[in-house]
Amino acid sequence: MSQFMRSIRLENVTKSKNGHLILNNVSLEIPSGEFFALLGPSGCGKTTLLRLIAGLETLDSGRILLGNKDISSQPAHKRKINVVFQNYALFPHLNVYDNVAYSLAIQSKPKDEIEYKVLKLLKAFHLNELIYKKPSELSGGQQQRVAIARAIINEPEVLLLDEPLAALDFKLREKLLIELIELQDKLLTTFVYVTHDQFEALTVADQMAIMNHQGNIAQIGTPKQIYEFPNSTFVAKFVGNTNIFTGSLEMLNEPRFTVPDLGTFSINPSIVKEKTIDPNKTTIMSIRPEKIYISKKPVENFSNTLTGIVSSIVYNGRSTFYEVLLNNKMKLQVFEQNEEHFPQETIDYDDRVFLCWQKENVVLLER
Amino acid sequence: MLAKRKRSITGEIKLSEANLNIDKLSNPTLTKKKKTSLWKIFKSEALFTIGSTPIIWQIIFFYIPLLILVATSLVKTSTSGQFIGLTLEHFYPLLNTTYLTIIFNSFGLSLVTTFLCLIIGFPLAYFIAFNGGRLKNVLLFLLLIPFWTNFILHIYAWFFVLEKHGFLNNLLLDLGLISSPLHFLNSTFSVLVMMVYFYLPFMVLPIFSSLERFNPLLLEASYDLGANHRQTLQKILLPLTLSAIRAGIFLVYIPSFGEFVIPELMGGDRNFFVGNVISLFILGEKTGPVGIAFTVLSTLCLLISLFFINRFFQYLSKKITGEA
Repeated sequence: MSQFMRSIRLENVTKSKNGHLILNNVSLEIPSGEFFALLGPSGCGKTTLLRLIAGLETLDSGRILLGNKDISSQPAHKRKINVVFQNYALFPHLNVYDNVAYSLAIQSKPKDEIEYKVLKLLKAFHLNELIYKKPSELSGGQQQRVAIARAIINEPEVLLLDEPLAALDFKLREKLLIELIELQDKLLTTFVYVTHDQFEALTVADQMAIMNHQGNIAQIGTPKQIYEFPNSTFVAKFVGNTNIFTGSLEMLNEPRFTVPDLGTFSINPSIVKEKTIDPNKTTIMSIRPEKIYISKKPVENFSNTLTGIVSSIVYNGRSTFYEVLLNNKMKLQVFEQNEEHFPQETIDYDDRVFLCWQKENVVLLER
Repeated sequence: MLAKRKRSITGEIKLSEANLNIDKLSNPTLTKKKKTSLWKIFKSEALFTIGSTPIIWQIIFFYIPLLILVATSLVKTSTSGQFIGLTLEHFYPLLNTTYLTIIFNSFGLSLVTTFLCLIIGFPLAYFIAFNGGRLKNVLLFLLLIPFWTNFILHIYAWFFVLEKHGFLNNLLLDLGLISSPLHFLNSTFSVLVMMVYFYLPFMVLPIFSSLERFNPLLLEASYDLGANHRQTLQKILLPLTLSAIRAGIFLVYIPSFGEFVIPELMGGDRNFFVGNVISLFILGEKTGPVGIAFTVLSTLCLLISLFFINRFFQYLSKKITGEA
């Protein structure tokens, strides 16, 4: 099977349930052999999209192609697409071995072939000591590994993962994410990873799509593109934290952005050109909290500076999160790396601080 | 500084308030400790009393009478009621083909009833549990409504359906499927219809409650892994509902073996089952001991058959979990 066969193309997919439009004319191309993440808020229809690809639900209109073959009307058990379900859906009456062997046993493959394949895979997944255990006797991480092993034993063209790490604790999640990336590198199967957790999506994805509440794809791109250059306020707010300023853009010899009651800030001309924003409309400027420098003394060499009063401080270990009250009553979020054991200045509550950023580090958004 | 930090994280909780709450909480817990232990003893005693009552009830009103029954069937008494000795003579009249055929027929009736209840009840329970949606409870309720009305009324209702110019015959005549009315009443057919009608909920309820707890994602996982509907039924759905199916089978099989009202009223005089014979003997003159012997014999047969059914299910569940 050629690599090309593993790409998925959705064309004008529409789906409603109980009178609610869940997916509204979604078109999406998932390239072959990529780790693709589908990120969206809860209830945005991303799980429905995954179930449509798996064949567990039927389309209202549009079509789904695997490679160049239309699979829209193929039933789930005939598609070479497997799912790692949320909460795993392991068969409780079967032990680890039989769970993993299930899809091979269904095809009535010879016993020794099944045994060879299953044991090899279980060994690679460090599950070979647990083959006689029932799912209920396993830890969350082990169950998750069994679920993945069960889904990939039959070498699917595409592996769909539906929030596979949602039930696990943070440390384990980080570890399993790395394992998933390594696994995908080895298999070269197309992975589609559905999650509402931006950290997971940014970590694993080669490319990712953001879904919004209207059942549309808001943006597609690499994690870096999505994070650094969101194309809408929704994406900017949903992926990571950001500070949103509403104001108007003026085009003098240099573009300037004016926020009422706060001030005027210079903007890099290339950002404006890229976006082709209408200067007459209200515009939104977004600045990521970590792109702002905070200090009690004025700092030179920054294109923009604001002042404010520190209203809250949350120490997170590797970084400190500040909330600063600005003159227009807006609260600005700032992240600062804790680079030194003994910082030269300590910022405390109610301190007057200077907030500085470079003009290249902002994003202009419509609406 | 500490107080300030706290405010910054949650924004609401103040340290002084938190302290107050701790004070408020600490006192009642101290005083409660004594009460708790007393309450615990009372609770465990109460549970013991409540739990043991039905057991005592069972012993007095079921096991002791059963023993008396068995003893009576083995005892020879004089005409004045005096104990003479042990005997098997009450069983002798039963060792003829008529009675053995009746026991055999009863097995047949209860097995067929159970089988029909299973193949009708399982899809019904499946439908209510998975496709019922908001109507789930209503559908279950509808299934149970017949239990509210008097049993004899049911039987008369079925008379109207099955009689010569009844609903069923009229329907078949109107559809042109038959040219003259069929004879439904007083036949094995009418007995079976009534038996299935009456015992169906006993099959549906345990299977329904098991299916309701069943995670439908398991079925989807099975389809996703390449299994078709038949394979999914065989490898996932049936194994996981096996214990409920067994419960349903026992609930239908055991009482339908001894059922005598339905055959009596629906079966005419040709359909004789264990229950009818027992009632005839025990109510008849001088045939009491033979009736008791017959009861003991048929109970024994039932127990043996239950043993085999149970074995069959053990074999099934072993086979299911042993190999995928």
